[in-house]
Amino acid sequence: MIKHIIQREFFDHLNSLRFALTVIIMAALMVTNAVVHLQSHPDKVRSYSENVAGDRDTLQSRTDLYELLRKGPGKLYKQPSSLTFIADSSDAFLPDRGTQNWGSWSRTVGFGTQVKSIWSADYPTANPNSRDLRPKATKIDWVFIITYLLSFIPLLFTFDALSGERENGTLRLCLANSISRPALLTGKFLGTLIAVLIPFYFAVLLNLAVISTDTWTQLGAADWGRLGMILLIASGYASIFIAVGLMVSGGTRDTRVSLVVLLIIWVALVVFMPSTLGTLSTKWMSPVQTAHQRETARRSALDQINDDFQKRMTDKQVAKSQTGNLLNQFMDLMKTSPKAAEKLAKEKEAELRAAMANLESQKADEEELRIKAEFVNKDVEIRERLNRAHLQAQLAQVQRARVVTRFSPAAIVQYALESMTGTGLKRHLQFLDSVHLHMRQFRNFITETDRADTESLHIIGIPEGMSKKPISPQALPSFADKITFSDTFNAAILDMLLLVGLLGVSLLGAFFVFTRSEV
Amino acid sequence: MLHTLIRQEILGHLMSARFLAAVVITLLLVVANTVVLIDAHENRVASYSQQAKVHREKAVAAETYSELKLFVERPPNPLSLLSAGLEKRLGTTVEIYHGEVPTISSVSARNLENPYLNLFSQIDLVSIFQVVLSLLALLFAYDAIAGDWESGTLRLVISHPVGRGAILLGKYIAAMICLLLPVLMSLLIVMLQLSLASSIQLGTTDFLRIGGIVATTIVYLSVFYLIGLLISTMTRRTATSLMLCMFLWVVLVLVYPNWSRFTLNPVGDMRPERQSAYQQVEQIWEEVDREEQRFLANSPLEGEPPRFNIGYSGSSSSSGRRYGFNMTKVNADSEPSLPHFQDYQAFIGTTHIRAAEKIGLINEQRWARTSIRQATWDERLMKFSPASLYTFATSAWVGTDIDGMLDFVGAVQAYRQILIDYLHDKDAFASRRWFASDQGAVDWWDLPQFRFAPVDVSENAQRALMDVSLLFVMNLVLFMVSFLIFIKVEV
Repeated sequence: MIKHIIQREFFDHLNSLRFALTVIIMAALMVTNAVVHLQSHPDKVRSYSENVAGDRDTLQSRTDLYELLRKGPGKLYKQPSSLTFIADSSDAFLPDRGTQNWGSWSRTVGFGTQVKSIWSADYPTANPNSRDLRPKATKIDWVFIITYLLSFIPLLFTFDALSGERENGTLRLCLANSISRPALLTGKFLGTLIAVLIPFYFAVLLNLAVISTDTWTQLGAADWGRLGMILLIASGYASIFIAVGLMVSGGTRDTRVSLVVLLIIWVALVVFMPSTLGTLSTKWMSPVQTAHQRETARRSALDQINDDFQKRMTDKQVAKSQTGNLLNQFMDLMKTSPKAAEKLAKEKEAELRAAMANLESQKADEEELRIKAEFVNKDVEIRERLNRAHLQAQLAQVQRARVVTRFSPAAIVQYALESMTGTGLKRHLQFLDSVHLHMRQFRNFITETDRADTESLHIIGIPEGMSKKPISPQALPSFADKITFSDTFNAAILDMLLLVGLLGVSLLGAFFVFTRSEV
Repeated sequence: MLHTLIRQEILGHLMSARFLAAVVITLLLVVANTVVLIDAHENRVASYSQQAKVHREKAVAAETYSELKLFVERPPNPLSLLSAGLEKRLGTTVEIYHGEVPTISSVSARNLENPYLNLFSQIDLVSIFQVVLSLLALLFAYDAIAGDWESGTLRLVISHPVGRGAILLGKYIAAMICLLLPVLMSLLIVMLQLSLASSIQLGTTDFLRIGGIVATTIVYLSVFYLIGLLISTMTRRTATSLMLCMFLWVVLVLVYPNWSRFTLNPVGDMRPERQSAYQQVEQIWEEVDREEQRFLANSPLEGEPPRFNIGYSGSSSSSGRRYGFNMTKVNADSEPSLPHFQDYQAFIGTTHIRAAEKIGLINEQRWARTSIRQATWDERLMKFSPASLYTFATSAWVGTDIDGMLDFVGAVQAYRQILIDYLHDKDAFASRRWFASDQGAVDWWDLPQFRFAPVDVSENAQRALMDVSLLFVMNLVLFMVSFLIFIKVEV
């Protein structure tokens, strides 16, 4: 019997105007998406590989260990996903690289001793498009098509499913037969689901057919697996809205009322909630430091170690000059009365020579080097700590806002699809993790290489204190950003579970409302 | 008779569930978003005044003229909560320097607190009207004629001595009155919320702008109502009319604006334009270098620019061709060459100003031909959808459109000219204080302040006029067509 209801429901939809319109709009959007992808993707892949190659070349051109430490591991680019056509809109607001250059400083202390800064990690600003004058718009990617259309169309298919039949009396007729209400509802649900998903899958096939002509997009087995998951998520999302539609339709007697209620729910849940809740939640969040506050905090922390450093260096130099007192006396005499100086030189020749030799040797004084290295490394540590804390604070805000926006199923689907595709915030966080891992490896490599050289003083951070041996470019740890299936799946699992939960709740709601309603 | 028709229609709408639901959701969204928007605006005002203070302190801290680092900040526009436009996306800080004419690209966004929050698009009040009320307009219209047809009331009404035009007009006027109600109610609530916020003071011209927005909203909603009416007169079944309306709405409001922005790119590759601009700039700098060589050949100064062989203690800074000196003490043996150094600085200052003006022109043209042209083309194509027309018209009213942003750049350029005049008045370029503070630091007490006033309302009205009249023409055409169809249709 259920089979019969499904069949009837499905064929009813198939002949309707809304089905035809759905096919047209879905196909048009999916083809557009594929064509735009064909035009823009090659540039993206090309610029990524050019960037990575450029990064590697500059890195391998540095054979000096200190030079490597001073210039850092490069910009560390994020690999574009091969499935970007599915979810692309968030990446416009996220950086495409892990680090950026902030510049460097060099400082002269005391009598011509120079200290130079070494590389420290700085994070690029998130919005590189702040000079973009083009009007704001959402990209037509799968996320757009799924979140908007696969919620709107199910509502248009279901708003009169039960209320319409109640209005014209067929519902009574139907239930007068030996059909249970749950069976009727299940039949309607499955029939509508098939009718909604057919245009969608048809459009998806068109989309993939166009995209497969592109030589730049190579889809591997894992990518097909991810695509399968994405289609599953989309189907689940459509089912939620079908269930909601049946719920409202089962509870109302007037098709117009049920339509209006559903449209209002849709506008609130899909159009406004994802952004409004996101911005609304920032109102109750602890604020991120402003540019000015950051600058003051950094300056005060750096000034402190700088003062400490200057003091230690002057102490050191004063101590040094005490042994050179005699030498100073001699130098002064040279300026005022050369004759007296000559006399002094004859009297204390041996002592003067010793003082001269002492001065020479002090130039390579190890302790002084250690003080300098300590200063340079502390500088890096403070900068990195502050930068990272700032980034963490910013990202924590966004993540909290995302938790709140998960009230909207559209946001849940967006996050799940982004994670599965390998774009969006979750992916960016994973990318940042691998950037940090690489930075640690890079520094370890420098320390290890230096330790292997017996001639080196093992003072990292100062050219005089480090190994002078040229490094072979092959030995350098290379940064390779990879998207794996398990990474994307793990990132999406929470959102997928939430969707399943929502589906269960809305189906239960539909059954509950319909079984208790009067015919 | 028309009077009765209108009254009856209004009552029908007001009692309907759709009206109630739409009003409730509009008001809820408006209240929630206004809370967020006012809060965000207050933050922006606070950070604006703090930044302005920091900029001022930094400028006044310069001890010599060449060390001056002057920044200005774009003040936040309180009406941007109605229509955000480009206001929050573009940067706010510009550096003023005599050797560079600021363009739209010199505006930097480094003071944004958390750019990652751009992941959530901020919603302005106009976008709520744009989405919710246009949907409501279609819901009012889809069964206006087709519904009466189905239920048979249309025959009854026409059997009375009343023209078909009057029936159409009556329905139209009644629906527009009902649509206007949620708009006015939400504006009233916004005004209440604004009056509770201390940071926002609205003047009379601001109210005129809000009035302009209300007028634009009416014209916009009327377009959607008439679209629905047209579909309703053409179809005989409400179900068909409804489906057509809903899909058309999705296309016009959601799909087409985004689709045209990402699919159509009439400007094409901008790289050659950029390349040629770079080359021209390069040539100008080469010319400057040649002039400098010629000047130095006749100058008794020894050594390499910019420091020559002047012995001094103090500090210096450089970035590109820009050098800042602060000589706190000049060695006695360098003293005789200082007048020549002053001559050199005066020469290089005026040469750089001239070069900057030429480069400024080139950059201006380049931006006009690339980014600005692209943005205007995007807008033109998007304007096929009334929803986009509405967005652009409202942002023109409040001054957050491209023209508004270019106004700011114009004001910044004018301020640079004022700064140059100020420096000339003080004879700063040729003075010793340009590079040395050994005879006292520069006193900046009369440094002119930067002020940016939004343009006159009439100017805003002119900018919005094009879009509003396009909407108006759409109205006329739609009404004419539905009238023609309706008088020919058989009842």
